[in-house]
Amino acid sequence: MTNLDAPLYPPAKAYDPPRRLPRILSSRETPIAILQSNPAAWAIVNKQIPGMDRRIGNEMIKPHLGNFSLESLLVFGVVQREPLARIDAELARLGEVM
Amino acid sequence: MSFEFDTNRRQALMVAGAGAVFPMVGAAAAKPPVLSQRASWPLRDIPFDDGWKFHRGGGDGFEQAGLDDSTWRVVDLPHDWGVEDVLGGAEPAQIGPFDKTAVGKGATGFTVGGEGWYRKRFSVAGYAPDARIELTFDGIYLESDVFLNGHPVSSNVNGYIPFAIDLTPYLDRKGDNVVAVRVRNEGRNTRWYAGSGIYRQVTLDVLPSLCRIARWGVAAWTRRFADGRAEVDLTTSLEGEAAGYEIITRLIDAEGRTAAQGRVAAGSEVRQTLTLQGPRLWSPDHPNLYRLETELRRGDKVVDRLEQPFGVRIVTFDPARGMAINGEVIKLRGGCVHHDNGLLGACAFRDADERRIRLLKQRGFNAIRSSHNPASRSLRETCDRLGMLMIEEAFDAWHEHKEPQDFSVHFREHWEEVIRGMVLPARNSASVIMWSIGNEIPFRASDEGVEWEWKLANAVKTLDPTRPVTAGLNGVLGQEMIAGADTARPGFAGKVDNASTMFLDVPGYNYRLDDIEREHSSHPERVVYGSETFAREVFDYAALMDRAPYFLGEFLWTAMDYIGEAGIGATAFLKNGSLPYYFAAWPWVNAWCGDLDLIGCQKASSLARDVAWGLAPVTMTVQRPAPDGTFPWTANWGWPDELASWNWDDHKDKPLKVRVYTAGDKVQVILNGQVVGEKALAAGDKMTAELPVPYAAGTLEAVAWKNGKVIGRTHLETVGEAVSLRVSAEPPSQRRGRDALAYLKIEVVDAKGRVLPDDMRPVTLALEGSGELAAFGSANPQAVGSLKASHTTTFRGKALAILRGRGKGALRITAHSPGLRAANARVAFE
Repeated sequence: MTNLDAPLYPPAKAYDPPRRLPRILSSRETPIAILQSNPAAWAIVNKQIPGMDRRIGNEMIKPHLGNFSLESLLVFGVVQREPLARIDAELARLGEVM
Repeated sequence: MSFEFDTNRRQALMVAGAGAVFPMVGAAAAKPPVLSQRASWPLRDIPFDDGWKFHRGGGDGFEQAGLDDSTWRVVDLPHDWGVEDVLGGAEPAQIGPFDKTAVGKGATGFTVGGEGWYRKRFSVAGYAPDARIELTFDGIYLESDVFLNGHPVSSNVNGYIPFAIDLTPYLDRKGDNVVAVRVRNEGRNTRWYAGSGIYRQVTLDVLPSLCRIARWGVAAWTRRFADGRAEVDLTTSLEGEAAGYEIITRLIDAEGRTAAQGRVAAGSEVRQTLTLQGPRLWSPDHPNLYRLETELRRGDKVVDRLEQPFGVRIVTFDPARGMAINGEVIKLRGGCVHHDNGLLGACAFRDADERRIRLLKQRGFNAIRSSHNPASRSLRETCDRLGMLMIEEAFDAWHEHKEPQDFSVHFREHWEEVIRGMVLPARNSASVIMWSIGNEIPFRASDEGVEWEWKLANAVKTLDPTRPVTAGLNGVLGQEMIAGADTARPGFAGKVDNASTMFLDVPGYNYRLDDIEREHSSHPERVVYGSETFAREVFDYAALMDRAPYFLGEFLWTAMDYIGEAGIGATAFLKNGSLPYYFAAWPWVNAWCGDLDLIGCQKASSLARDVAWGLAPVTMTVQRPAPDGTFPWTANWGWPDELASWNWDDHKDKPLKVRVYTAGDKVQVILNGQVVGEKALAAGDKMTAELPVPYAAGTLEAVAWKNGKVIGRTHLETVGEAVSLRVSAEPPSQRRGRDALAYLKIEVVDAKGRVLPDDMRPVTLALEGSGELAAFGSANPQAVGSLKASHTTTFRGKALAILRGRGKGALRITAHSPGLRAANARVAFE
């Protein structure tokens, strides 16, 4: 038996809202709900993937739009990879957003 | 007059004998106590499961003590009406417990909730007149209201947490008492089969009135190993006026010897440290347990005593080594499990939990994730005893819903109850290695979600700072953020993190295989694991475990099939030219995504995992050939429709896809003595060789080589016509009375005793003797019949009967099927 101290995970003192860092929107990292909340970004998505609202309109997917990016949907076959690069190029032109 | 017990064991037994809680209903009242139902010291945990009355449906006045419940059914807990046949059901829309119109649809496996009432009469006349009497429900699904003698005494809205009720204020000390429980499971409140009713244990505690050990009031953890000793820190909380009392704490080893003892004057909260010389450490391979005894004394009289299992172990996490238990690195070979016990529904029988954990250990699993709710005490204690690591999980949703009536409806008002209900009862369990505050939480990265993450993580740490907090994260991790010194985890103030991970000590990733190594370059400080994984990625995760120390391991979704989330692992044949999409609708009722099926048999993915995890050098399956004009389709959580079968008479001379899984670098396939295929394997093949083999009846053998040496062989045989049934009993239960279950496998076999691998035929059971049929069915993921009737249809040549004891006696079970020789077995119960 080797000498060993058990780790502890103490609670923090108080909640102060963390500071959000600006970001470039992307198909890989940005939750779909964030894209939806940005009219310019969502217009880009709809231009490249027609009928996007319908594709993500079912009850199974809706709760996860705050967690899923466009790329997250690839595994479910909801979107294809092919338009994502074009979407990323256009999103990048929007610059950093909060 | 105060109420105190003497330490004299004989007197204690007399008290218990006079005061045992007697059910006053039916035949159960005359039953002798059984060994599993302790009625002597301590007077805690007195089983309260037997002799309840049950009525399915609502009604007025059901809580009143004087209600005539003589027409109600007698049930012994645990009980789940969700697996009982639909009332008045008629095929084809209702099949057994499954109803095509069920509000939960495929999520609940088309099972039906509704309302049910339970009542139980009991007397406490033999106990001290001022004893405090508490009732503990380990879990009721879903919403419950408890009444004592007509008075409301408790309500609970979470279906998975234990809760205790002080019955004292409305107790009749001399006469009969009636506890009544209304249970409602209504609306779309769950994404999986949850069951309905009092599906976990109920126990009664007889406690001293003046001062007692608080419920779940003892916290113990192994703080240090030093020079061959282990230091165990304890905190004991008391209720009542503690002056004049003292606390004695002991660790008793497996041989009953006191390994360490401490004595201290009592207070509302008392801290102690026990030192164990040469401790027997707990680990998955060596689940050594001590009995932790906490005794409250006044003078030489024991006033209260609590006993619980305790394992001495230290679990550490760091990115350089990953997870280590007692200093030894161990990878998580985990499986997610829902709480149901297959054909028994949600019922938390100890024997059923034990069987499930044993089956998983046999297949190499060393960890389970109790998804997505706190586990039953029974399952958790089984994990402690058998050496299965465990992640306890609190929520499937926080402030935003997944289903319209899920726990999000109550979350803001009741989240603290759930955190307490998860942490306090389980914090001394050696098996529990992490606390999960949620699974795939909707909108967790929003401002509100981030604040909830902080609140929940810190609420857990306030109750138990000895384990890391985790969560199952799907999708992306959210915006980068920076937390200040008061808010951040220690060492993380001012550092860039993500919204979803910043308050988690060990992030769990659901289906994020491709992200894990990519992220490590930007966050080398993270220690992560796959909290949910697809079966098809088994070889990828096995390789990742080997090469990435910061990656702790995986939790397969799921280790075993479960009712509900119907068909998420479905396979189907689709017409050529159609879109590759299939919706597994009615009559799909089980998820069909487990490595083990609903009755515990290995499926094809498990055979592959045997190789990935080193349990077997080579395994072999054959993919079911697609009918002409179709192509095979497999759902994301599924596995191709493969069988360990060489019975394909409808496909004579047609090439079949034979898959050989092996850790070797070459495989050879031999059909009836002739080599019909050979393949070298490279790293990119992921331990899988696929070879086309024209079908001919006989023996198909696979031989695996590595570095020029044979490392293993396996074979499949063409099985003959069905000749008889075979009934084989699994090892007998170690329990007695109504706690004892017996599992009997019923198989369709040929003249040589080989199981027909894809056979479906009716089987009827005849039972004679003492005991009852608790469940009977197969692993068929589609609704085919009752789970309570004495007849079923085999699936893949097998069915499973589960018998429940009624005390000492024997039960003879005979299985019949038209045209086959019957088979029987005898089961003895204690």
